[in-house]
Amino acid sequence: MHDISAAITTRFRVAATGCIIGLLVVAVAPWLLDTYLTNILIRTLFLATVVMTVDILWGSVGILTFGQSAFFGIGAYACGLIFTHYGFGPGWALAGLALGIGVGAVVAAATGWLAFFHGSLPLYASIITLALPIVLTQVIFSGGNFTGSSSGLSGFPTYYWDLRIWFWTAGTFLVLTTTAAWLLVRSDFGRVMVAIRENEERCAYLGIPVSRIKIMLMIASAVIASAAGFGYAAFSNVVAPELASFQLGTEFLIWTALGGRGTLLGPIFAALGIDTMSSWLSGTMPFLWKLLIGVVFVAVIVLLPRGFAPLVGGLFRRILPVRTAGAPARVLVPDTRSRLGQGADDQKPPLRIEHLSRRYGSLSVLTDVTMTGRASHLLGIIGPNGAGKTTLMRCISDGSERSGGKVEINGAEIGRGAPQDIVALGVGRSFQNTNLFDTLTVADCLLLARYRIDGARLFRSSVGIALPEPALDILRATGLDQRLADETGNLSHGMKRGLELAMVLATEPSVLLLDEPTAGLTRPERMVIGKVLGRLTRDYGLCIVLIEHDLDFVREISDRVVVLHQGSILMEGTVDEVVSSELVRSVYAGHHVEAAQ
Amino acid sequence: MAILVLDILTTAAILFAVSAGLLIILGVMKLINFAHGAFLTVGGYMAYLNGAAGLSPWLSIPLAAGVGFLGGLVIERVIVRPLYDRPLDAILATWGLGIVIGQLITLGFGRGVQFAPNPISGTTELFGVDYSAYRLAVAVIAVLLVVALSALLKLTRFGLNARAVIMNERLARGLGIDSTRVRALTFGLGAALACAAGALITPLISVDPNMGLPWLVNSFMLVMVAGVSFPSLLVASLILGGAQVVVSTYANPILGGMTIVVAAALVLRISPKGFSRA
Amino acid sequence: MSTPLLTVDALTSGYDSAAVLHDVSLQVDRARIVAILGKNGMGKSTLLKTIMGFVRPISGRITLDGRDVTGAAPNFMARAGMAHAPQEHTLFQDLTVGDNLRLGVATDRLFRQCLPEVEAVFPRMIERLGQRAGTLSGGEQKMLLMSRALIARPKIMLVDEISEGLQPTMVDRIAQALLRARDELGIAVLLVEQHLDFALSVADRVAMMKLGEIVEEGTRQELAASDGLAAHLAV
Repeated sequence: MHDISAAITTRFRVAATGCIIGLLVVAVAPWLLDTYLTNILIRTLFLATVVMTVDILWGSVGILTFGQSAFFGIGAYACGLIFTHYGFGPGWALAGLALGIGVGAVVAAATGWLAFFHGSLPLYASIITLALPIVLTQVIFSGGNFTGSSSGLSGFPTYYWDLRIWFWTAGTFLVLTTTAAWLLVRSDFGRVMVAIRENEERCAYLGIPVSRIKIMLMIASAVIASAAGFGYAAFSNVVAPELASFQLGTEFLIWTALGGRGTLLGPIFAALGIDTMSSWLSGTMPFLWKLLIGVVFVAVIVLLPRGFAPLVGGLFRRILPVRTAGAPARVLVPDTRSRLGQGADDQKPPLRIEHLSRRYGSLSVLTDVTMTGRASHLLGIIGPNGAGKTTLMRCISDGSERSGGKVEINGAEIGRGAPQDIVALGVGRSFQNTNLFDTLTVADCLLLARYRIDGARLFRSSVGIALPEPALDILRATGLDQRLADETGNLSHGMKRGLELAMVLATEPSVLLLDEPTAGLTRPERMVIGKVLGRLTRDYGLCIVLIEHDLDFVREISDRVVVLHQGSILMEGTVDEVVSSELVRSVYAGHHVEAAQ
Repeated sequence: MAILVLDILTTAAILFAVSAGLLIILGVMKLINFAHGAFLTVGGYMAYLNGAAGLSPWLSIPLAAGVGFLGGLVIERVIVRPLYDRPLDAILATWGLGIVIGQLITLGFGRGVQFAPNPISGTTELFGVDYSAYRLAVAVIAVLLVVALSALLKLTRFGLNARAVIMNERLARGLGIDSTRVRALTFGLGAALACAAGALITPLISVDPNMGLPWLVNSFMLVMVAGVSFPSLLVASLILGGAQVVVSTYANPILGGMTIVVAAALVLRISPKGFSRA
Repeated sequence: MSTPLLTVDALTSGYDSAAVLHDVSLQVDRARIVAILGKNGMGKSTLLKTIMGFVRPISGRITLDGRDVTGAAPNFMARAGMAHAPQEHTLFQDLTVGDNLRLGVATDRLFRQCLPEVEAVFPRMIERLGQRAGTLSGGEQKMLLMSRALIARPKIMLVDEISEGLQPTMVDRIAQALLRARDELGIAVLLVEQHLDFALSVADRVAMMKLGEIVEEGTRQELAASDGLAAHLAV
């Protein structure tokens, strides 16, 4: 236990140390640099703060955004407009800042709503973020004298502080926001961000509100960028449409890419370095510099996709080997407040499907399927290939899949809900092909699965992972409880399946949809799964719906069996009824247990 | 009214011609070529050079296409091919390339605006109004382009191979299709189309190092809305291009410039696959 | 005694740096069916993918018809006379049955010549040339997969768990098709399977794969008699 808490406080200690060092550098720098350089750096420090937000969105979550410049511009114009047209003073300044941040947040929310939704393509989201600064600059152009149109506003009253004070303001803002971002990225929530970047679909099926998280991050980034823009405008005393342009937005991306996406510090240093050089050289050869940066940028993307940060980091490590604070060791804890199986209601069946159909154009994959899943029952779905079994599961777990009919979970209609909404109603689904997050550890995946119930710590990591007993059983039986720190990409097939099942159970469903859960498992592994499923129905009252090809397995554990054939229900009944039915036999033409003895 | 209709039709045709190259590359290579605007600009400057050299203006189009094709093959080999597994990075790399091309053009030709000669000057009478003859010619050329490209895709073996690569490249390779060659040829074709479009539209507008930029964004939005299909690109061009013309004429040209972007974003929000069938 | 059609020599291969196959050697003679048996995760699919060129070998050699083809690209192997019927990424779901078959042959003219071959083995395929492949049932898709693999008369077919999820009647038809391919078309087959009975019904030689290594090998009779097979598959 001592080690675990020590690991966590180490992280805070590292963050605090970094923060203090940064603040010291900021404090001392103005005395060491000449006026011209200080002037340039103040602007660059504000820009670097925006670059940091780009790295959060792009490097950590995988949202390629061209639009952070729009929020920067909003903050800048808030400052310029208030000071030019309304008034000047502390009250006005605060009002302007609030306005910039407020408008930025609202625009970010709107952009997020447009760009992030179940099924949106990453490319589409990027294009939306591309359109944002373009639309904004057009709005600015059409503003006439109010916005200053293409020439912008200048010469408005502002705080003519000593350069040092501006430097300290900009620098402190950068250091503090970066420290917060650093802690965020290394927290449990940071793992959620990585999971979204790696496999968004799977996150949705674990009940994680992916779109909402992306929109929240967008808003948070916008707030910081707007504040930086406000500061920039207040210092430089000029606002022009270039500050909101998509060219600036792409420059942020270039600096992030060159510095090393996902490393936070890399992009910041790249921004400081490159922008300072650009301003320094602006008298002499601006075009050649831009050309050089362009060429280096392309070369970096192609040859050094992780930017220069890993190189620099590698160099550092050779010079001073530092023990990095690793992830804290986690502990599995039984969830005493587990509501596993308590979603069921005596009056309403856990699962009710009425007249469900699924068509692809003229082809009917499912026709008029009506069935009920009862609590404490295991319903096996069998049928020849192409009968529509997996499609049926898809239609239950994703509201947009079916063409017609109704699906109710615990009495509530799923309507056209997205997977995460249906998970919230109490459905847990496992997939035919294992579908996990290769670079996350077993512990990370389990925590991810608990998001809906336990949330995720924003700036810290939890030590204990609370799981319902059946999930713990599976982890113990497969040996996964000894491998919490292993990356899932390195697990064997059987262990991956076990982990998936544990993750689904961790979301505390009342209806469990399992698509060929034993495919590729050994006999002992199969028996473990069978036992766990039995326990889930008997002791926890779950309704389990299972697709299987292994008839022996189905026979052992099912209470009822549904036979699907060419998209409709051929027969439903107890295991014995179905197995002895002539109709089923003729369809299967003597299908028998597979060769494994 | 007739002028409005003709404006819509010719604008749609121009948008289609400009976006076709982007569509081909997106379909086969699953990548948005952010250097597209730069290719347009290069095509424009080819037309300018062509005019300055005293050659027939109609020659500028095949000339630009040739330069585009060769340049496209080189760029695909050097920049795009290594980024095969990283489509978002490919967007950035091609954008960087666009910047580099833009800077090179500025270094070579200066930042000033140039003009290219018009192959067909003057107006003709159509539906009772006098309308720019060249604009009409461009519209006709665009339609011919749709037909030719669709034929290439549906009727030729190259088209079948390209469609196979579009759908499932791994499987296509397992069947003997040299997908690397298909991709290279496709990129070359896309670049050729972009340069040719640049040369085609230059007589109507002027040439400067940044001329490709507004077309870049509009083409993306169109291609995203249209999905991978030439007929639906034409439809998208008509509808969104029409919207742009209407807004520009009756409201405000600045709002008109934004119309395609805003309208496409909303369409995609409601129906993520755009106009093509899901 | 003619040289073997396909030889695999001390092949080690896998994903990233983790080896899935360890020092695997085998050979397939002309017009012979060799079956590789083993449970999931034992490396069977990886073997076929490496031979076909989808996975780069870490070490070892592969020769086809006497030529060293180690590490060659999949499209090269296909043109060299190797047909792959994979477990995943099997068909173009959005293309028609006809187009899927066309893609199995290098040119369209050859396609017209080879179509009767398909008709002989899977007559119902001809009726459905215009149907979208994605609308076929699982068993029909497997038939289409076999047809496409056969159509160009390859020298050797690599078949990956084609019996998976099929009813016994369908499995029989696939077995018939394989035997016909061997006997009348002279096509060799390297078959990867978990279905013991099916494999034994068509194979001339059988090899057992466990944890990326070949642990037993012999003719069908030799191995059917041994207890080892069933034991390997069961545990």
